Amino acid sequence: MFERRLYHHVDWGLLIAVLTLCAIGLAQIYSATGGWTTTVETQIYGILLGMVALLVCLSVDYRSLADKSHLIYLAIIALLVYVLFFGAVRGGSRRWIDLGPFNLQPSEFVKAALALALAKFFGESRRGALTRVDLFVTAALTAVPLVMIAQQPDLGTAVTLIPVVFAIVYVAGMPVRLLGVLALIALLAAPVLWRFALEDYQRERIVTFLDPAQDARGAGYQQIQARITVGSGGLWGKGFTEGTQGQLRFLPVAHNDFIFSVLAEEQGFAGVIVTLGLYLFVILRSLESARLAKDRLGAYLVLGVLASFTFQVIYNITMSAGLAPVKGLTLPLMSYGGSSMIATLAGFGLILNVRMRRFTN
Amino acid sequence: MALTEDRRRIAVRLMVLQVSVIVAFAALAISFWFLQIVQHARYQEMAENNHQRTLALRAPRGVLFDRHGKVLVENRHSFNVSIVREHTTDLDRTIRLLAHVAGLEVEDVRQIVERHRGEPTYRPIVIIKDASLAQVAAITARRLDFELPDVVVEQVPTRQYPTDALAAHLFGYIGEANEQQLSDGITRGALIGQSGVERVYNNLLMGRDGARVVVVNSVGREIRTLEEIPPKEGRRVQLTIDYDLQKAAEDGFRHAGFNGAALIMDPRTGEVLSYVSLPAYDPNDFAAGIDAATWASLNTDRLKPLQNRVIQGRYSAGSTFKLVVATAALEEGIVTPDFRVNCGGGATFFGRYYQCWLKGGHGSVDMRHAIEKSCNVYFYTLGNMLGVDRIHKWAEKLGLAGKTGIDLPNEQESLVPSTEWKMRRYGQKWYAGETISVAIGQGQVSVTPASLAVMMATIANGGTRVTPHIIRAVDEGGGWKMAAPPAAADRVAFKPETLAALHDGLWMVVNGAGTGGRARIPGRDVAGKTGTAQVISIQGRQLARGSGLDLRDHGWFVFFAPRDNPEIAGVIFGEHNEHGYLGAPIAKHVMETYYAKKEGRPLPVLESKAVPAPEADPDTAPVVIGAPVARRTNRNAQNPTPNVGGEGRLGFGTWELGF
Repeated sequence: MFERRLYHHVDWGLLIAVLTLCAIGLAQIYSATGGWTTTVETQIYGILLGMVALLVCLSVDYRSLADKSHLIYLAIIALLVYVLFFGAVRGGSRRWIDLGPFNLQPSEFVKAALALALAKFFGESRRGALTRVDLFVTAALTAVPLVMIAQQPDLGTAVTLIPVVFAIVYVAGMPVRLLGVLALIALLAAPVLWRFALEDYQRERIVTFLDPAQDARGAGYQQIQARITVGSGGLWGKGFTEGTQGQLRFLPVAHNDFIFSVLAEEQGFAGVIVTLGLYLFVILRSLESARLAKDRLGAYLVLGVLASFTFQVIYNITMSAGLAPVKGLTLPLMSYGGSSMIATLAGFGLILNVRMRRFTN
Repeated sequence: MALTEDRRRIAVRLMVLQVSVIVAFAALAISFWFLQIVQHARYQEMAENNHQRTLALRAPRGVLFDRHGKVLVENRHSFNVSIVREHTTDLDRTIRLLAHVAGLEVEDVRQIVERHRGEPTYRPIVIIKDASLAQVAAITARRLDFELPDVVVEQVPTRQYPTDALAAHLFGYIGEANEQQLSDGITRGALIGQSGVERVYNNLLMGRDGARVVVVNSVGREIRTLEEIPPKEGRRVQLTIDYDLQKAAEDGFRHAGFNGAALIMDPRTGEVLSYVSLPAYDPNDFAAGIDAATWASLNTDRLKPLQNRVIQGRYSAGSTFKLVVATAALEEGIVTPDFRVNCGGGATFFGRYYQCWLKGGHGSVDMRHAIEKSCNVYFYTLGNMLGVDRIHKWAEKLGLAGKTGIDLPNEQESLVPSTEWKMRRYGQKWYAGETISVAIGQGQVSVTPASLAVMMATIANGGTRVTPHIIRAVDEGGGWKMAAPPAAADRVAFKPETLAALHDGLWMVVNGAGTGGRARIPGRDVAGKTGTAQVISIQGRQLARGSGLDLRDHGWFVFFAPRDNPEIAGVIFGEHNEHGYLGAPIAKHVMETYYAKKEGRPLPVLESKAVPAPEADPDTAPVVIGAPVARRTNRNAQNPTPNVGGEGRLGFGTWELGF
């Protein structure tokens, strides 16, 4: 299955950049949690398992995987259903399947599964333009897991599904006009959503974002602290494990949602530029893979996987600088989180897979 | 065809996505540049304020030593419990929990916090001053459980004064600086000297507070110390006080069973050896900031424990004033010591009959015997010959008028009247008849114990009016440096015969047939004089009956020793003790202690014994000023005792003769 010549087509640059980001994340988790903790160990296991998942996703031809995409999709939906009824509850959310030493978070894998399903659906479409049926099927495929994840509730992860759809639909030939209409509808629906769809705490977060000083002790606290954390880093940073904001817990969940703030504090603007550069490299290199893909299926698959990754990276980093409302969105590759790490690395396995097999039949 | 179309579209749209991503990342990079480079200083400061807390390290006040190096006032460690609101999320919870743990009323704690609400949140609000060890333990335990992270327990140095309120009025007390006292180095809440030595030498004693910059985490727990500026302890100060003499004097009062005042000094230099004002307050009550209840009770106490009687109490001088008249008459050359007066139990001046205390009269007495017997008629006669202004002049030279200049705050002026004074004060002419009462220390004569001590020192040393002082040496950091003693306020060399007559007469008071026999120490040639300060005139006494005021007379005993080249001089004032001679044993005990210490013998101890029955006291025997021979028509003009003139004045609290 894994032919020798394929080995030469592995995108080593991308792989190294991805693993470097994992290493940087690991180091900052070490710093933020105050040394060699179980958190660090768990993250290492996450990375190792993620690399296994990456290898698995790399080995199997993505076309074979796409052929099984409906099964994979259904399996994931089944897991979500299971979570909805039997999942482990933590912090008021029912998101996990308790596997003893490990807690699996199926919603993290939905992105890749959805990307695979949509890529398959559009990649094999013979029609030149998108039909209403296509859009309806797409909407249905997305809405089912999205609603289920939102029920957990985990609005952050649910929202990451939307870029997947849009990226694929956009590149698959959705008329720009239709995008404009959708944007208009979203704009008009915003007040209604504000009124009925959002929980109080969510509304509060958005209000707080617009004026953090209004509630400096409560919800605005994290945002102000994030800016202080980043701003106090300066050009060269305070030095590894020397950050005061993260170390002294002025910034909550520093090893998780705010890992990038900790990096900015300890490594300064220099560290930020290097890390941003790595992420940008990873994204552009992946887009390159989409362009080089042998077929539309491969291009759509890369795009689908990449879309949620890119969305999360940009949103999380913006939030880390205190420039976006605080949302429970992790930074892929760097934040603490086993399921997220495994799912992300598995996703990169798919991206590498597409590029590697661009000359095969 | 459609396929290439497809490919082209995909390529274009991928390009759009690519550009979008690059733009987004550029925007992020610019944002971080703005935050981390442009606004770095601002956020840097905010981060520091976040995690750094500056705690004041209180400087211990300078230690006070006695003249022989014995520690008098030092510092102990105490604990202050404060709330730092900086990281408090639920202040009310903290208040309730702290009150519960420390056993306080929630409302009281809330009020304290309320009073300081306007201050910056990083400044600790002191809730408990000088907390008990049990409170500290309970609070520390809760702190470790993260229950009271915003409560800090600070160790602060606290003034430790000797037990039994020894020399309380000399040391004074400390208290929080008020609005007017704030200045460079004295910040709000600083404890500074408010009275006594603590106040006068506050600048020396205060030292400079240090600071400790600590790193705190998000819940306010201290993580480590960043920087520590150690506090600078106040200067060590040596006083002229001799602890043993101080204790001897206070023991003497306790043994005698009355309150009063004493100032004992070295007549050659003015160094104060012992300084007593009783009843006293306990300066330790003030050390950590006095509570309102104790303060109120000190202020309303009828015995006035806050009054520094030595320099703030003014009393009629009584017979001790005869020494001024004697000195004036001799130095002015009006009489010689051999001048004799025949005392027949009284004499008439300006149409009024003035009694001597001894009904039968003293017969013919010279100066020495007049002093020994305290003969009123003799001094009426001298006073009449001198006139009030010359008496005033010599009172001033002896240190009895005005202030002594002692280095303690709020000294009252002693008053000896003069014609000029009466004109200025009342716009009235002085009547010669008034001089007669002044000659035996009555009338408007009103002096502090301190001024009488200076008078005695001046008579003892032969005419140098020394300035009593308390500071002996200061350690500015490089070892003890003797403080420059204050210059003598006046210097007159008494004629030898003046000195001989005064010293002989005073020696006879103690060692002859006089009233000071209780101060006699064989071989020490103690010289002294008793006196009585009338609290109220006989007429006034009848009016004040039943008012509940203590109307018993005060007693004076002034002394020095030995007669030739005196080394120790002073005054014992017994409040309402009725008899001046009752102060003599106190003086005797102090002098015995002085000599025992000087000669290296064991110090004397006062044994408890039954208080002896009172004996006849010439000074207390009523000095009745008889009705004028002429009808009493103009009472104010003719009557030398002003209090008789105004019954209306009875309404005012205590009533000392003269003022």
